[in-house]
Amino acid sequence: MEALARSLVNFVPVLGGVPLWTITLLVMVASAAVVLVFALTFEGVGSLVLRKVAGDIQARIGPNRVGPNGMLQFLADGVKLVLKEDIIPARADRLLFRLAPYFVFVGSFAAFVVVPFGVGLIAADLNIGIYYVMAVTSLVVVGILLAGWSSNNKWALLGGMRAAAQIVSYEIPVGMALIPAVLVAGSLSLQAIVKSQGGLFGIFGWNLFHDPFAFFSFLLYFTAAQAETNQTPFDLPEAESELVSGYNVEYSGIRFGLFFLAEFGDMFIVAALATACFLGGWNVPFVSVAALPPVWGNLLSLGVFLGKAFTMVLIMMWVRWTLPRLRVDQLMRMSWKYMVPLTFVNLLGVSLWLLLFHGKGIPQMIASLFG
Amino acid sequence: MGLKEYLNDIMEAVVTTVKGMRITAAYGVDPKEEVTLQYPEERWEVPERFRGFLHNDIKVCTSCTMCVKVCPVDCISLEAVRGADKKMVLAFYDINIGRCMYCGLCVEACPVKSLKHTGGYERASVDRGELILHFVHEDAAEIKARVARQVAEAAAKAAEAQAASRAAEAPAAAKSPEAPPADPKAAKGEHRE
Amino acid sequence: MTGMTARGEALRTQEMTINMGPQHPSTHGVLRVILTTDGEVVTRAVPDVGYLHRGLEKIGERVTYAQFMPFTDRLDYLAAMNCNCAWAWAVEKLAKIEVPERAEFLRVIVAELNRISSHLIAFGSFTADMGAFTPFLYAIRERERVNDLFEMICGNRLTYNYARIGGVSGDAPPGFLEKTKEFLDYFEPKIDEYNNLISYNKIFVHRLANVAVIPAEEAVAYGMTGPNLRGSGVPFDLRRDEPYSVYPKFDFKVCVGTGERGKLGDCFDRYMVRINEMRESVKIVRQALAQIPEGPVMAKVPRVFKPPAGETYFRSECPRGETGIYVVSDGSANPFRLKIRTGSFVTMNIFEKVTKGLMIADIVAVIGSFDIILPEIDR
Ligand code: SF4
Ligand code: SF4
Repeated sequence: MEALARSLVNFVPVLGGVPLWTITLLVMVASAAVVLVFALTFEGVGSLVLRKVAGDIQARIGPNRVGPNGMLQFLADGVKLVLKEDIIPARADRLLFRLAPYFVFVGSFAAFVVVPFGVGLIAADLNIGIYYVMAVTSLVVVGILLAGWSSNNKWALLGGMRAAAQIVSYEIPVGMALIPAVLVAGSLSLQAIVKSQGGLFGIFGWNLFHDPFAFFSFLLYFTAAQAETNQTPFDLPEAESELVSGYNVEYSGIRFGLFFLAEFGDMFIVAALATACFLGGWNVPFVSVAALPPVWGNLLSLGVFLGKAFTMVLIMMWVRWTLPRLRVDQLMRMSWKYMVPLTFVNLLGVSLWLLLFHGKGIPQMIASLFG
Repeated sequence: MGLKEYLNDIMEAVVTTVKGMRITAAYGVDPKEEVTLQYPEERWEVPERFRGFLHNDIKVCTSCTMCVKVCPVDCISLEAVRGADKKMVLAFYDINIGRCMYCGLCVEACPVKSLKHTGGYERASVDRGELILHFVHEDAAEIKARVARQVAEAAAKAAEAQAASRAAEAPAAAKSPEAPPADPKAAKGEHRE
Repeated sequence: MTGMTARGEALRTQEMTINMGPQHPSTHGVLRVILTTDGEVVTRAVPDVGYLHRGLEKIGERVTYAQFMPFTDRLDYLAAMNCNCAWAWAVEKLAKIEVPERAEFLRVIVAELNRISSHLIAFGSFTADMGAFTPFLYAIRERERVNDLFEMICGNRLTYNYARIGGVSGDAPPGFLEKTKEFLDYFEPKIDEYNNLISYNKIFVHRLANVAVIPAEEAVAYGMTGPNLRGSGVPFDLRRDEPYSVYPKFDFKVCVGTGERGKLGDCFDRYMVRINEMRESVKIVRQALAQIPEGPVMAKVPRVFKPPAGETYFRSECPRGETGIYVVSDGSANPFRLKIRTGSFVTMNIFEKVTKGLMIADIVAVIGSFDIILPEIDR
């Protein structure tokens, strides 16, 4: 951030008189605002798209009353959520009850900070990007647990307990499934991981095609991440048909809205991480974005990144509207009996591959065959 | 559990998931599959036998009370008075559609087919009073008074005629009888359900 | 349940009582289940019924035989045709009325179509209970078509009131039989689609297989009937074993559970029985369409209908099991006593027994696999 502030000062000499820390702070606030606006817009539009996709899949139309073809439905929903009465159950733990949605929202929103949207479009290129995401999204579990406990409702409590167990169990496979990308790139920074997938192979520079194990990593990551973010078929914490609505059953109004937004935020984070780690991130096939003029390069890369990420989100929605839900013991069994061992085997495979072939992927080897 | 079984389990999960997703995708991309009716703009064609709101053609209705007797939930009420021409005149005929279950038994029972189902099905109301359909628009008391008057007139006329004929027979005893009282209760044949 | 604290003392944990329903998305209406759970494991689940009690049997004693027909719609609103016909058959048996053959065929056609639509709801809501919402809407879409047919023949979409004592309220309108055939052609391939979409889905199978196993003897001992009994492998179907109406004219298979994915008599078997029965119903309707004779649809029944004094019990195969109607007549226009035995109510007896030790999610599966409907339980 400081570097950005400094370049800003160089660019606009008038700012020279202002202390550097002020500018840095302003830049920080501005970039946070941009990310927040993006996150909120995505979450709004995401909810609309989710319902539209549901409509298409279920042979119906979906929301189509507000605005042309229902495009403004999410605004109507938002207004409704803001205007609704915020009910706090009489015997709830008021402080925790109010606090919980913020934990959940912050947990999912903070992860947006390190998402590499484009060549230079990243709010903060942390050198431990991936682990930052994993750590900060764990905050969500605290929020859900608090929400479940403080509501003083048994269904909510069960939902909270399920969420805690589930998120903790799936943290491991998620982390393990991401490591192959880290190994290939040799860095934990998301930006570095994306850059390592560039190259002029078009799409074959992607980690997805690096080696068979990397491919499986992608599938494992995608599955485990859905579980970690409570998406169907792993939406046990809010299991509509069993726990009524799970941990958020007592929430209404804007507090419920925050849970709702966080859900879509999580969805995007999963898609963004999958894109960045396995699908080449913002790399545009056959074009070296970094070589383009900054504005065009950034725009193009942003478009490509969002395109890939949204495709992943669509696939998640598609899965969501197809599969039934697991039972809680089956969920645990799936994590500990299938996901964890498989991700470990996979990690071993990638490591061996990198060791044996000196870090080269299959496409690279084929390319070197042809000179 | 052997390794083979373990891998089979995973395979089965993947295969069945993919199978299901193929079907949902087929629906997802085919816009022709949408079956939703855009209700206020589009309406489905009501079939001929549709049992919608009831309508009674009071001109045809003979006030026979068959419909009242057959209705299982007692939602039809009517009152009729016998008119001057010995036919029943409806004072009121109400159907409480808030209570009606559209079973159609009354329509089947109606001997002159004056009671019919219409194709109507939309009548939301915030007031239960609005759910009582009145088929006789005049005030019941007015009708009764009018019918009573007509009956009285007819009776008077009849009496006159009788008196005249009697007078013709026995002119000595020419004394007109008293006209019947104008009280509608005195009108014969009144009944109330 | 006890655990251990760090110092090795026994740690006491409490069981929790949870109220499931009467407002709960998966109790199929207003069933209330009082769950005693140890974490997610249910140690006891006691169903509490009666929230929908309307005193149908008492109403029956107050209205005439013909007037009770619309009330049978409310006995099982998802299979109103079957209940209509059951009442008509019962009263006809009591008064020994001969019903014209065409009317019987029409009854069988609508009853089997209603069985399809009822099983569709059973299938759809069951999958929705399991977390897959899409099949539910597909099922609803197909059911709408059946409703269209019913609307055409009787004028209503939910409370049909189609059967009459001595026949049916109206002959099939022109085009009805052809449309029915069209529907069958459209519907039959959909069953395979459902199977591919969800029935054999690994998650779905895992949720259902070996859950709430009811052995055959137990099912018989508890008086279960209908698909729930057949799910335990007992091939008992009143349409075949105690034939009534024109069912003997048709060739169909009695579907039973096979234990294909788990133990015989589990939730998956009960589910599969319904899926397979839809096929059989399609078969029956096809045969009925091919054989339906011409003729009147209403027998001569006096306007003021007074059956001779006496009593009768008639049972018929409804989608949720045997619906038995016991009616006593004292020779007047109203039944003297009326008692209705319904499949769902009897099925609930075994609920507490089979749910012991299951998880909360399984309770939902059990309710779904029993395919109960509350108006039938509470009447
Ligand atoms: S349709 Fe049925 S409930 Fe309605 S008025 Fe007629 S008989 Fe009564
Ligand atoms: S049955 Fe028909 S004719 Fe008789 S009172 Fe009713 S509507 Fe009028």
